[in-house]
Amino acid sequence: MMAIPARRASTLLAGTISCFRGLNISSHGATKAVVATANTNYFKTLPSASSFHTSARRLGLMEFFDDKKNWGEQEVKVGRAWKLDELRIKSNEDLHKLWYVLLKEKNMLLTMEHACKEEFQLFPNPERIDKVEESMKNLEAVVQERNKAYWLLETGETGERPGTKVKDELGRLVYKRFTEHVVPVWMHKQSKESMHQGAAMRRFQRYMREKRAIESRRYRRRIRNHVCGLLRRFPNANLESIQEQFPEVDVGRQRFARRSRGNHRNIA
Amino acid sequence: MAQVDWKTPKAIQYRQTEVKRTKFRFTTNRPWTQQFAQQNRVGTRRKKVFVEPITDWSFFNGDRVEILVGKDKGKQGLVNYVVQERNWVMVEGLNCHYRSIGKKGDYPGMMLQSEAPLLVTSQVALLDPSDNKPTDVEWRYTEEGDKVRVSVRTGRIIPIPKLAEETKDYKTKRTYVEQEKDTTEDDLTRITFEPALKTFEMDIATKMGIEEDRVPLKTYWY
Repeated sequence: MMAIPARRASTLLAGTISCFRGLNISSHGATKAVVATANTNYFKTLPSASSFHTSARRLGLMEFFDDKKNWGEQEVKVGRAWKLDELRIKSNEDLHKLWYVLLKEKNMLLTMEHACKEEFQLFPNPERIDKVEESMKNLEAVVQERNKAYWLLETGETGERPGTKVKDELGRLVYKRFTEHVVPVWMHKQSKESMHQGAAMRRFQRYMREKRAIESRRYRRRIRNHVCGLLRRFPNANLESIQEQFPEVDVGRQRFARRSRGNHRNIA
Repeated sequence: MAQVDWKTPKAIQYRQTEVKRTKFRFTTNRPWTQQFAQQNRVGTRRKKVFVEPITDWSFFNGDRVEILVGKDKGKQGLVNYVVQERNWVMVEGLNCHYRSIGKKGDYPGMMLQSEAPLLVTSQVALLDPSDNKPTDVEWRYTEEGDKVRVSVRTGRIIPIPKLAEETKDYKTKRTYVEQEKDTTEDDLTRITFEPALKTFEMDIATKMGIEEDRVPLKTYWY
């Protein structure tokens, strides 16, 4: 049976994993680098960058460019992006490696896009960049899920950046993302919130409320009239489909509206 | 579908506004083509088109359908082209009109036969494979749990045609040629995840042999 295509924009994952295991990179090597002074052999003890590899490929700066076969092509065939369910079954190690594989692929594609622009050439299949970005977004979501699960289990709060809804200077509720401080809030001079509470602010709030109410009313009227237009033009339409598309409108009630009346037999 | 023409930079001195277009005129031209861009260029405003909402779309490329209205009423053909945004379907070689292009002076121009789109709700009907007659279609679940199209009149399942799984990348899933950078099915479906009471960072650190024994300073978040 031929393999049903499972395609995504990633380089040979299996190859990179085996290479990684062989090299056995540890932090102990890095801690050898001591404080640099004029008399030490600091730079000689540092591992040379050119001999430091975590994968089998040795293309150097050419890794920023696509395979030479694809230069000047009108179309480059690639698979689709990684889906969330496909990433969820992978271990953290695999995801960590896949991230860098995707990052390098993205850098390569962006380099090629820029190079093609410079040479006034066609950049084939620009959706490849979108596919890589989608894969990376999904990967980050999976990692976030796992971290959040651990944090909620152990601490009761998500480990993500905290925040809260606060009133800004104009009295509007905005989500404020917290920042990290060394001093507690009562010692922090800049945090002394001086919120305006005067008549001007109250007047502004009234006007904002009115404006929002008008916009909301107009929107609801617009979709209500659209539904009436649909009922008029399509007397045999599926009411449930219309209700699904416009959940804010009472479709059953609009059947009897004057605007829904068409030149067809009474269907109510 | 939205097309953002301009977005203010993300900085404190700018009010967050977008200049975008949300209402489009959908036609037989696909949204990524130059003709669509021309029809929906900046400054054009077309009359509203009412499209009947359909929850379960039942018409695919390669389906046998019968035309119920027009010149070719009663004729059966294969679906060639689907435009879901307008509830349109184009049947191969049927419901055609002729148009000449390149007319200049005495030269009458080249005649082209082009199909006209048909509305899925009222102008076209799927055929029941048992008797090749037009029927209404419903989506129902089989005993195994698959969602299938079923003819309301006879109860016969109408299978989804092979032509429907064609995309720009492949004709059928089985004929797709694996590329160099594609992940194979084995690599994709292999489960390597072992749940452990660790965060992502902790797991990677233990695997790489990184030991973090520093205790961070107490900080305040506000």
